[in-house]
Amino acid sequence: MIFNISMPIRFLSLLVIASALLWTGCQKDDDTPPADEPELITTVVLNFTGPDGNTSSFQFSDTDGLGGNPPVADDITLSANTTYQLDIEFRDESNAANVKDITAEVREEAEEHLLCFAATGVLDIPVTLDTDGNGAPLGLETELTTGQAGNATLAIILKHEPDKGADNPCITGETDVQAEFEVAVQ
Amino acid sequence: MKKRLLLKWQWLPVLALIGQVLQAQNNCDITLRGKVVDAHTREPVAFANVAIEGSDIGAMADENGLYSIDNICEGSYIIVCSHVNCDHIEHQITLTEDTQKDFVLEPHGVFIQEVLVKGKAVPLKAAGAGATLDAAQLSSERGLTLSDAIGKLPGVTTLNTGASIAKPVIQGLHSNRVLVLNNGIRQEGQQWGTEHAPEIDPFLADQVTVVKGAGSVRYGADAIGGVILVKPRPLPEKAGIGGELNLQGLSNGRTGIASGTVEGRLSGKLPVSGRLQGTLKRGGNLQTPDYFLDNTGVEEANFSWALGLKQGKWNTELFFSRFYTRLGIFSGAHIGNLTDLQNAIERERPLQDGTFTYELGRPQQRIYHELFKWKGELETGDKGTLQLQLARQFNRRQEFDAHRPYGDLPDNFDEPQIEFEITTHTAELSWEHDPIHNLRGSAGALFMRQANTTDRGALIPNYENYTVGAFWIERWKNYPFPLEVEGGLRYDYQWMDVGLQGRDSINRQLGFSNFSGTIGAIYRFSKLVELRFNAGTAWRAPNVNELFSDGVHHGAASFETGDPNLRPERAFNNSLSIELDDKDKLSATLSLFYNVIDDFIFPEPQAEPVLTIRGAFPAFGYAQADARLMGFDWQAAYEVMPGLQLESQASLLRAWNRSRQEYLSLMPPDQFEHALRYTFGKGEGDNTAPYLRLAMINVLEQTRVPGFSSAHLTGTDYAPPPAGHTRFKLEGGARFRLGRQPFEVNLAIFNLFNASYRQYLNRFRYFADETGRNVSVHLRVPFGNG
Repeated sequence: MIFNISMPIRFLSLLVIASALLWTGCQKDDDTPPADEPELITTVVLNFTGPDGNTSSFQFSDTDGLGGNPPVADDITLSANTTYQLDIEFRDESNAANVKDITAEVREEAEEHLLCFAATGVLDIPVTLDTDGNGAPLGLETELTTGQAGNATLAIILKHEPDKGADNPCITGETDVQAEFEVAVQ
Repeated sequence: MKKRLLLKWQWLPVLALIGQVLQAQNNCDITLRGKVVDAHTREPVAFANVAIEGSDIGAMADENGLYSIDNICEGSYIIVCSHVNCDHIEHQITLTEDTQKDFVLEPHGVFIQEVLVKGKAVPLKAAGAGATLDAAQLSSERGLTLSDAIGKLPGVTTLNTGASIAKPVIQGLHSNRVLVLNNGIRQEGQQWGTEHAPEIDPFLADQVTVVKGAGSVRYGADAIGGVILVKPRPLPEKAGIGGELNLQGLSNGRTGIASGTVEGRLSGKLPVSGRLQGTLKRGGNLQTPDYFLDNTGVEEANFSWALGLKQGKWNTELFFSRFYTRLGIFSGAHIGNLTDLQNAIERERPLQDGTFTYELGRPQQRIYHELFKWKGELETGDKGTLQLQLARQFNRRQEFDAHRPYGDLPDNFDEPQIEFEITTHTAELSWEHDPIHNLRGSAGALFMRQANTTDRGALIPNYENYTVGAFWIERWKNYPFPLEVEGGLRYDYQWMDVGLQGRDSINRQLGFSNFSGTIGAIYRFSKLVELRFNAGTAWRAPNVNELFSDGVHHGAASFETGDPNLRPERAFNNSLSIELDDKDKLSATLSLFYNVIDDFIFPEPQAEPVLTIRGAFPAFGYAQADARLMGFDWQAAYEVMPGLQLESQASLLRAWNRSRQEYLSLMPPDQFEHALRYTFGKGEGDNTAPYLRLAMINVLEQTRVPGFSSAHLTGTDYAPPPAGHTRFKLEGGARFRLGRQPFEVNLAIFNLFNASYRQYLNRFRYFADETGRNVSVHLRVPFGNG
């Protein structure tokens, strides 16, 4: 008969059961490394193809991710009075042994992405050639025409979920990448 | 000019609150008789004193607990029932004829600051300032958030991230400086984050008590700002089944909530009580007066159960609660970098006006919290009560950015960018002793073990944290002597082992230890006026985010860097409260506080931004400075004419960085609330009469901020604080019966006139207005014993 068990014993057994339940609950090992980091864009590559068919590439990269070391940008050298085809690539180089190309993914989700450009100095803003599924601009493929010789800066901004119908879509959405280059036109 | 006028208006009701107590005295032949019994055993309490306050009239109960007082004049009195081993009880009574009044005495009052307002008992009051809300007062705001409900109290405000994430702020302090006790167990999640709200079902809370100023000695180091005690209803003591159903609808977000409780107690030999409680909530996009806020819906599903066994000197209880919420983060507030933020601020309103939907997209938070606890209590003869509590908590927080991670579909489609899992075990042993020569007290020890895993992201590291602490509190009280004195001491030791952060190994061990102490006194000048004073010192070890943060805080567009060499904070809290209560028409409390915090930890803006592939982020590093927070809270109510009550409330705060000689940022602006409350007739008991209440809430502009500079990187904020505003709230409630079934209806209209405004302490003030008019209808249906 359970009711004949004396109160202290019942109390103690409850205590034991309760503590067993409480203290053996699932516990995570503190030293487990985190899940694989999601892919991120660490590198922007600009491929300039001149009229002669030769391609020169320049890159902006921050392989250790946000924080840590600041990003590093190549200096771009271009010829004056030349029309270049400018193709832009994005890569994940956070793991040097496993470099991933993210350009295709940006193109697949073209409706959600937009490349914006800003230029100062002697450079004009590149003209976007490609479009997304809705016929709105994307910006992975562009054309850049240089004028006279001089110095310039060129910024490439990748926007996520911009409002492509807005007057200025480049001030909408979330900035995924903002890469700035020094350009010398010779 | 307008502001000055407003200020004058604030004070008018205060002047009007000076009143007189009138007592009619005719028939002087009334007899008051009754019985005094023990609240727990229902046994008669022998030789208790029953007296009319403020007079020499009284009587002592006999050995059977019976008393009788003769020859009382007709009138309104406060009857005090007291006994050396019990809390005294005050009861207001209007005598026109011979009356029977029984008193139920609590043998062991709940100690320090745990003010119980149920029934008419007047247990020990906190020497420090504090306030309690009961279920009826929590009613309408429960449909918003728990913090909104607590935010009604003077001195308490909220720190918001949009409308669905709110954290309580007590006299300017929040997050790790405010301890939340959920059913007696300290709530442990990722409470350091400004967008991490307490993970507690508001419908589980039957009573919420806020302790302002350091509550450290009893509840643990860290609580240098205050303590919030959330208590569910006690398990039923009567045999039978009962419960209640709560249904609430809110127009804004077209939110619906259903919450139910079934509880009961077995009759017969086995004295087992139990309860099952659950809440479901769903809301869609919220609306400001001018536009919808995209992706601001919320889903919540919570449940809890409790089982209790009480027999003789033993009392044991098992409790489990589960909280789960999915909430959308306003998509217009999600930004990539500082330029995006500036663009958003310049737009002044969201790009799109939004539409209504219940659909939740990214960005999003999903939070899971479970608490499992066991409590055992043993009355140790006539010496006191011994209590042991063991608890396990598990908290998982997932944050989804607007952008799903890059990578192959569909693996990454539904994956969060940030995920933390934290498991906390606590054990607390405490002993409350019975009065020994007017001294009552308690002592206890606490052990806590915590393990955090950052599964995604690397904002904070993995760590294990061990805390041990011990406290001892005594209070001297010799009723009716007007002075009560209280003192307490606590020692805590905290050891932290910090492991991996992302792929880097921090491998650091940190230990902190120190004392906390408090002294307090209550002095009753007369039955009208009471003075309370409390001085305490407390400390707080730096939190893991302050030590090791490393990364971008989305939505804030800031890059936060911790400092592993931070020292603990040391606070000196002083509070003085004057309480006026004529138990009839007028009640008022003024609480002044002066808190000094040395080595106050705060994120300090850095001169150079952090450059990343996503653009520039303003950098913040955790720094320490000596701070001072002072101000006062005020609350008063005056019955202007029968049924009509004028209420006034104010919270003022001045927060100063003594080291840098500037104001502290992100401190709540001065706030006032004035209300008219009309009660229709008399109800059956407490708060049962139908009422209407119209409240005007004024929030002044926060002008006391560190030098704002338009050069965002050198200033401490991206935009100046928003202008002050006035908003109105209309509330009403009634209880009625259909047949034998009672119903309770509460109606509230928040932001009655649909005002457009922004709040300084809402992190989304850069992006959008606060929500517009919100009509809430709450129906409560008790059944059975409920």
